[in-house]
Amino acid sequence: MNILYVLVPLALLLAGAGVAAFVWSVRTGQYDDVETPSMRILMDDDMQAPTSEPESDQPASEN
Amino acid sequence: MSTSVNVGSAPARSEATAPDTPCAHCGLPVGSTPVHDPAAENADAFCCTGCQAVYHTLHEAGMHDTYYRLSGIGQERSPQPAQARPDELVYAELGTDDFLAEHAPLRDDGTRAITLFVDGVHCAACVWLVERLTDAFGGVTDALLDLPRARLRLEWDPDRVSLPEVADWLSQFGYRVHPVRQDQHQARTDEERRLLLKVGICWALAGNVMLLALALYAGLDAVDSTLNAAAHWVSFGLAIPAVLYGGSEFVRRAWSSVKWAWHQGTARHLHMDLPIALGIWVGFLDSVWGTVSGRGEVWFDSITVLIAAVLTARWLQLRSRRLAGDASDRLLALLPTMAHQVGGDGTTTPVRVDTLQPGDCVRVRPGDTIPVDGVVEDGRSSVNNAVLTGEHQPTPVEPGDEVTGGATNLSTPLIVRVTATGEASSIGQLLAWVREEAPKSARVAHLADRITGYFVAGVATLAILTATLWLMWAPDEAMRHVVALLVITCPCALGMATPLSLAVATGQAAQTGIFVKSEITLERCQEVDAIVLDKTGTLTEGQLALLDTHGEPEAVAWAAALETNSSHPVAQALTAAHPVDPEVAARIDDIDHIAGRGLSGTVDGRRVVVGRPDWITQEASCEEPLRAAVRNAASNGHTPVAVAVDGVVQAVCVFGDRLRPEVPALVRKWQEAGHRVMILSGDHPAVVRHVADKLSIPEEDARGHVSPAEKRAAIEHLHDEGYTMAMVGDGVNDAGALQQADIGIAVDGGATPSLVAADVFLTRQGLAPIDDLFNGASNTMRVIRGTLTFSLMYNLAGGTAAMAGLVGPLVAAVAMPVSSLVVVTAAITQRSFAVSGAAEAPRSSVPADTPAPPHDTDRSPKASPALDHVPGHPSTKQAA
Repeated sequence: MNILYVLVPLALLLAGAGVAAFVWSVRTGQYDDVETPSMRILMDDDMQAPTSEPESDQPASEN
Repeated sequence: MSTSVNVGSAPARSEATAPDTPCAHCGLPVGSTPVHDPAAENADAFCCTGCQAVYHTLHEAGMHDTYYRLSGIGQERSPQPAQARPDELVYAELGTDDFLAEHAPLRDDGTRAITLFVDGVHCAACVWLVERLTDAFGGVTDALLDLPRARLRLEWDPDRVSLPEVADWLSQFGYRVHPVRQDQHQARTDEERRLLLKVGICWALAGNVMLLALALYAGLDAVDSTLNAAAHWVSFGLAIPAVLYGGSEFVRRAWSSVKWAWHQGTARHLHMDLPIALGIWVGFLDSVWGTVSGRGEVWFDSITVLIAAVLTARWLQLRSRRLAGDASDRLLALLPTMAHQVGGDGTTTPVRVDTLQPGDCVRVRPGDTIPVDGVVEDGRSSVNNAVLTGEHQPTPVEPGDEVTGGATNLSTPLIVRVTATGEASSIGQLLAWVREEAPKSARVAHLADRITGYFVAGVATLAILTATLWLMWAPDEAMRHVVALLVITCPCALGMATPLSLAVATGQAAQTGIFVKSEITLERCQEVDAIVLDKTGTLTEGQLALLDTHGEPEAVAWAAALETNSSHPVAQALTAAHPVDPEVAARIDDIDHIAGRGLSGTVDGRRVVVGRPDWITQEASCEEPLRAAVRNAASNGHTPVAVAVDGVVQAVCVFGDRLRPEVPALVRKWQEAGHRVMILSGDHPAVVRHVADKLSIPEEDARGHVSPAEKRAAIEHLHDEGYTMAMVGDGVNDAGALQQADIGIAVDGGATPSLVAADVFLTRQGLAPIDDLFNGASNTMRVIRGTLTFSLMYNLAGGTAAMAGLVGPLVAAVAMPVSSLVVVTAAITQRSFAVSGAAEAPRSSVPADTPAPPHDTDRSPKASPALDHVPGHPSTKQAA
C-alpha cells in the first residue's frame, strides 16, 4: 500500500498538467468559437493563392 | 430592387424558367423574375444580380471548385442571396485616420488589427472564401472568421493594403462589412473565459477529491490509518483552491446581498447565493476541523462537487445570454456614422458624423438616412419620417424646411445645413434615453431569490431545533448533526434550477427567432396585464401597399406598367402588387414626371395619367362611384391614386399601410385573456381610430399624434396605475417607451435604436412570435416552479434526515448530485419554445438592415387578393 504515497501525488501531478493545458487553451481563446475550426480542417492548405495579385488590385466594384 | 433586375435582364431572357429552379449560386428558388447570363443559351439561372456577379467572380478567380464543394458542409446559417449593395459610406469610414486610430491602433511591428462584422457569411465555404484574404492581398497577415458570430479578425500591414480595399474585395462576393462599435463583446468574452476557467479547475479538483473520498468510504481507515489521514490531508489541500477560488463567486454575491438586505432592513433581498455560500463554508470548516483533529467527518467531496456544478450552471447561463448580446452589438454597428460633407467648392467628402459642426452642409442621396438635424439648403424631395413619428406618408420638403436626423430621403438628392448633431439632435436625444440606466433591475427579483428569505429562515429554525434537541439528547453529537443539516440543505439544486431553465429557454427562444436579452423578462411575461402597441410597422406592415382598386382592371395594369419608371413609394407598391408584363412595359412612350403630382405616358397610343386625384380631375372627367371611392379612402387615412385614360378617370387605387394578417386574432386573444390592449401611435388620429375600430379597441385606448416623449410618459403613467405592460414597437420614436416599459418588444425590421432599447427583439416577421413568447415564458415558468418544488422537497427530506441524525458524508455525497441531476435533466429536456411556428427557422440571424431577397413569388400572393375584390370597405379583407 505504501506505493500509494508515490502514485497519488503522481496522479495529482498528471491532473495538474491537464489543468494547466486547459488554462492555456481557455486563455488563448480556443473555446470562444467552437464551430468554425471544425470547418477549417476541411479546407485545402495546399491550394496556393488562387487569386492573382492584379485581380485584387482593382476588384469589380459594381456589385 | 426587383424591377431593376427585371429590366436589366429582360433582353437576355429566353424561354420561361420555372420559379422553383434553384439559383446557381445560392440555391434558393429563382422566383418569377430570374436573371440569366446574356451570352449563353442554356445558361444557369440566378435569383438576383448579386448572386450572378458572385458566381462569375468565383469562376474568374478559380475559386468555384472549393467554394461549391464546401458550401454544403456545416450548419447552414441564415441562407440568403448575396447582398449586392455595399455601402460606400461605411467603406469610406474604414479608410479614415480617425477610425483607424480609434479601432485599430498601429502596433509595434507596424501592422494593424481590427475586428469587423461580416454580413452574409453562413457556411464552411464562406469561411474558406473570407480567409483567402491572406492569399489575395500580400499585406493581409491574418484573417480569421468566427462564423457563429460573423466576426472577422483581421491583421494587416497598412503600408501594403488599405482596409477599404479589403472591404471591396469581400463585397464582390456579396459579403458586407461593418466596423464593430461600442463593443460589449470583449467584456462578455472575458467574463465567459473567467467563469469557464473556474468551472474547469473546480471539476478537476472535485474529480480528484471524489476519487479519494471513494477510498475513504470504502473503509480506508480500517486498512491503514496513516494512509487515511494522508487522504484527508490531500483532500483538504485540493478543497482549499476549490473553496477559495471557485467558491468566491458565491461568497462575493452573498455578501453584497447581505449588505443590501441590511441596508434595506428586510430579508427579502437576500440572494440564493447566501445559503449556498453558508453551506460551503460550514461544511469546509467542519471538514478542516475533522482533518486537523483527526476525528469527525469530512465533507470535502460534497462541497467541491457542489461548487463545480453550480458554477457550470452559471457558465451555461452566461453563454446563452451572449446570443442576444452579440446580436445587439451587431445592430449598433449599423448606425449611420458617416455623411457626405459639401465643401465650399461644391465637392463632397465623406466625413464622420461626429466631426460635423452646426453650419456645415451635407449631401443626402435618395434612399439614405439623414444623419443630422438640419434645414434643407437645396433640392426638393420627400422624406419618410416613419421611423421617427410613425407616420408613413412621405412629407415633401423644399429649401427652408427642417428635416430630422433619422428620416429617410426618398426621391432626389438634398443639401442639408446642419443645425444640431449628436446628443443635441432629436435622434441623439432618443439614443440618450436608450442608454440611460433603467431602474428596471431594481424593481424585480427572481422567483428563486424571493423564496430565499423564507428558505434561510426555515433552515435557521431547523438548525436551532436540531441543536436544541440533540443537546438534550446527546450533547457530543449536536454539532455534528447541525453541520450535516447545513450541508445537506445547501440549495445546490435550488440554485441551479432557475438559471439553467432560463438559459435553456432563452436558447430555444433564439432558435425560433425571439431574442431575449435578459432572462428576467421571461419571468415578467407572466405578470403582463397591458399590451401597448405601436401602429406603423408593428400592427401594420409599415410600408405602403395596394389595399384596393376600383374601376377598370386594365387601366390599373397600364398604370402599373407606367409606374415601373418611378421610384416613388406609391409606384413601388403598385408594381409590387402588379407584376408587370415586359411586353406592356416595352410599349410605353412619352413618360413625363410631374413632381409631387404623378406621371403621364402613352401606352398603345392611349394617354395614361396616374397621380393625385385632385390634380387629375382638373383635366379629366370623373364619375361619381370613383369620386366616392376617393373620398372614402381619404377619410380612412388612406392614399387614393387616380388613373385617367384619354381624359377619363377609369380607375382608383387605394394605398395604405396594410394591417398584418395575424393581428386581429392576436388582439382578440389578448383581450379575451383580460389584457388591456392599447395603441400609441405618432400617426394621424383618424388613421389610428380606423385601425382601432377594426380591432375593437376602445377609443380612449387608441391615441394618435403621440410624440416619443408622450409615449414614454404614457408608459410611465400606466405603470403608476399599477399595470405591468409589454410595449411592442419598431420605430426610433418607440425607443424611449420600449426602454421604459416593463417588457419592451421590438418587432422584426425595427429601427436600430428600438432594437437596442428593447428587452426582446424578434427576427421572425409579424406579431405571432409575441404570442409564442408569452406561451414559452409561461411554459418556462412552469418548469422552473416544478424544479423549485422538487428542490424544496429534497431539502425538506434531507433536513428531516439530518435532524434524525441519519445524514453522514456518504449520504450527502450521493443525495446531492442526484438531486442536481434531476433538476438539470428537467431544465434541459424542457420544450418551452418548441412552438408550432418553430418549424420554420428564423428568417435571418441578422435582424436589421438586410433587405429580404427580391423574390416576387413572396410578394404577389398577399397582394393579389386586392385585384378581384372591387367595392366595399378597403380594409375588410385584411382581416381574413
